[in-house]
Amino acid sequence: MGKVKLENQLKRAVADYQNLKKRFDSEKLDYVKFANAVLLDKFLSVFDDLERAQIHLKDAGLNLVVTNFKNLLDSEGVAEIKVKGLAFDPTTMDCAELSAGPKDQVVKVIVKGYTLNGKVLRPARVKVGSGASKISDKKL
Amino acid sequence: MSKIIGIDLGTTNSAVAVMEGGSPKVIPSAEGRNLIPSVVEPDKSLVGDVAKRQMVLNPQNTIYSVKRLMGRKMGDAEVKKTQGMVGYEIVAGKDDQARIKVKDKTYSPQEISAKILQKAKADAEAYLGEKVEKAVVTVPAYFNDAQRQATKQAGEIAGLTVERILNEPTAAALAYGLEKKKTETVAVYDLGGGTFDISILELGDNVYEVKATNGDTHLGGDDFDQRIIDHIAAEFKKDQGIDLKADKQALQRIKDAAEKAKVELSSSSETEINQPFITQSKDGQPLHLTMKLTRADLEKLVDELIDRTMGPVKDCLKDAKKEPKDIDVVILVGGQTRMPKIQQVVQDFFGKEPNKSVNPDEVVAVGAAVQAGVLMGDVTDVLLLDVTPLTLGIETLGGVMTPLIDRNTTVPTSKSQVFSTAADNQTSVEVNVLQGERPMAADNKSLGRFILDGIPPAPRGVPQVEVVFDIDANGILNVVARDKATNKEQKITIKGSTGLSDEEVEKITREAEKHAEEDKVKKEAVEAKNQADTLIFTAEKTLKDAKDKVKSQDKEEIEKKIKDLKDVLDKADKAELEAKTKDLSDALQKVGASLYQKPEEEKKSRSDESDRGSSTKKSGPGDKDKSGAQEGEVVEE
Repeated sequence: MGKVKLENQLKRAVADYQNLKKRFDSEKLDYVKFANAVLLDKFLSVFDDLERAQIHLKDAGLNLVVTNFKNLLDSEGVAEIKVKGLAFDPTTMDCAELSAGPKDQVVKVIVKGYTLNGKVLRPARVKVGSGASKISDKKL
Repeated sequence: MSKIIGIDLGTTNSAVAVMEGGSPKVIPSAEGRNLIPSVVEPDKSLVGDVAKRQMVLNPQNTIYSVKRLMGRKMGDAEVKKTQGMVGYEIVAGKDDQARIKVKDKTYSPQEISAKILQKAKADAEAYLGEKVEKAVVTVPAYFNDAQRQATKQAGEIAGLTVERILNEPTAAALAYGLEKKKTETVAVYDLGGGTFDISILELGDNVYEVKATNGDTHLGGDDFDQRIIDHIAAEFKKDQGIDLKADKQALQRIKDAAEKAKVELSSSSETEINQPFITQSKDGQPLHLTMKLTRADLEKLVDELIDRTMGPVKDCLKDAKKEPKDIDVVILVGGQTRMPKIQQVVQDFFGKEPNKSVNPDEVVAVGAAVQAGVLMGDVTDVLLLDVTPLTLGIETLGGVMTPLIDRNTTVPTSKSQVFSTAADNQTSVEVNVLQGERPMAADNKSLGRFILDGIPPAPRGVPQVEVVFDIDANGILNVVARDKATNKEQKITIKGSTGLSDEEVEKITREAEKHAEEDKVKKEAVEAKNQADTLIFTAEKTLKDAKDKVKSQDKEEIEKKIKDLKDVLDKADKAELEAKTKDLSDALQKVGASLYQKPEEEKKSRSDESDRGSSTKKSGPGDKDKSGAQEGEVVEE
């Protein structure tokens, strides 16, 4: 194998290594901030269930549990994505259904979305208005 | 020369990878995932996860499965079939080519695919921190010229020069490094999200020939999910009389639960589906979905789907004029092949275990990156660096193995550490070079030994002997021991320190695991003894140096405790040794503290000595913070 070729390979290997080092440093910072993302995401589905339970049971004790859980998420940098009434935005929301209501506006939040230190941890699953007006329940 | 990236442009998902430091690496997307959903909203230029999330809202403008249209004419059966399953409009373009109409614009499938490639390019550039202009893109083996040409055009529209169009099964074979072996016949079983492909390849001398290919363009993991969803809904209806499929929110939750259950059943034999408050009964009571699903249940549900893959497999073999026994290697591609039942069926048919060690979602992209590496001149034998298969170290006081180079370290590499003597006026040390994973020296293989003499007489712990291990790219190990006071050195060269067969390495590693518990006990016993020994030495030295500055009753107490410890040094168990060591250490600290209360200059000289004497740490360049027993000692002669 030619000397020039070997030299190029050496240069590339050294460059790869230096770039890797740089990326390693930046990823290390990210890692500290987002290391818990997978675990927190799993917690969120249980938190959803707790909130669902609370809607039905309206229990004072359970309410405290939900509040504590919320505070814990808060202290870990998890924040709820506010979407109600806003225009649909696919970077933070996932449209699950269309329904009557103002066009392209979030009509209902089906599952809340959350960010972790500013990055989307889980998009909000929402119902979006189709532009049609709501059909009245009242019979004539 | 800029980097060439490898792109798996898939029907359902795409992935991008690149060679880095001689090995392939899958590049995470801006969204932090290794896969990019092959979904595009061309009007607002949304690609991937973001486009997928607004699909329900915007079905006419959201393009997916565009790969099914690449290079095809309106009259093709595949186009007709696709028309029936997608929400967007497919129209005839020039020469009856399939085109996609979004609002009042028409797009070619190439343009849509280009958006996906563009995102792959942008993600790669963000990751690499440099411009990317070239790519290797994969296509199914059955793609004809027009379809390959269309894929190439897609790359050009995205601003990428397509250096090579690579067959997907060939990419999978490259990912497993099969091109380096002798001629082999390879079967690639690829069950993706929405398509199934089986290919028979012949590899040898850097020539890859696709002998035959077959499949089912409408069979994939999504069908498996659907079977589970149907099952869950049917069971719930049987129990509660309510159709969950009619409730869109409930259906979405079952979909998620079904996918989770499917994934879990690949690693465990049973899973529980728990979705509390999934709906309400007719009288407004909340209803919960709780259901157990076993792996056997799942296998029964999808048995027919797995069966459907076997027809094309048999036809493909027939076309290639091969028998199952002619196949040397079987490779699994696509996320659905993680299912144990599929692996079993494939293994039973071919009579050999399929390769599945490379992530089946990423294996095609990885292979594309390997091909890109070959084009860049990155992948050659020169850059295949070896690793040390086993830990290398030396024997220290009490017959302990002290590692210098850990196993699996990439060579060439070099490590050094400073050691000291174990006895007063010790003028030579023996360096016993060891290889293995066991904590006690005697249980490891001795690669060689040598003596460094001529060390000036000094109290133990004072001399500094630097030991350097250096392995070159050929696996040749040089060990040098140097006395830092006199610069006198001795060395040994050991050849073939990495040249062990896989079986040997595995055997040694297994042994180490088997004996891990007893070895730990043995090592701790030695460490306790070493610690006790060091403390006795320190205590005696403190008493001698302090002379009459120590109160006689303190002195008697310490002497008694020294004797106690000495008496049991060779016979006591670890717990007793540690207890007696602590006794002595406490008494000694009491004396030390009282010595500090003496006049200024005395205090100074005492503390110097006490530092040297009682500390279990010794300073010295390269010296690691270690426990007292191992610290600084090369084995006594």
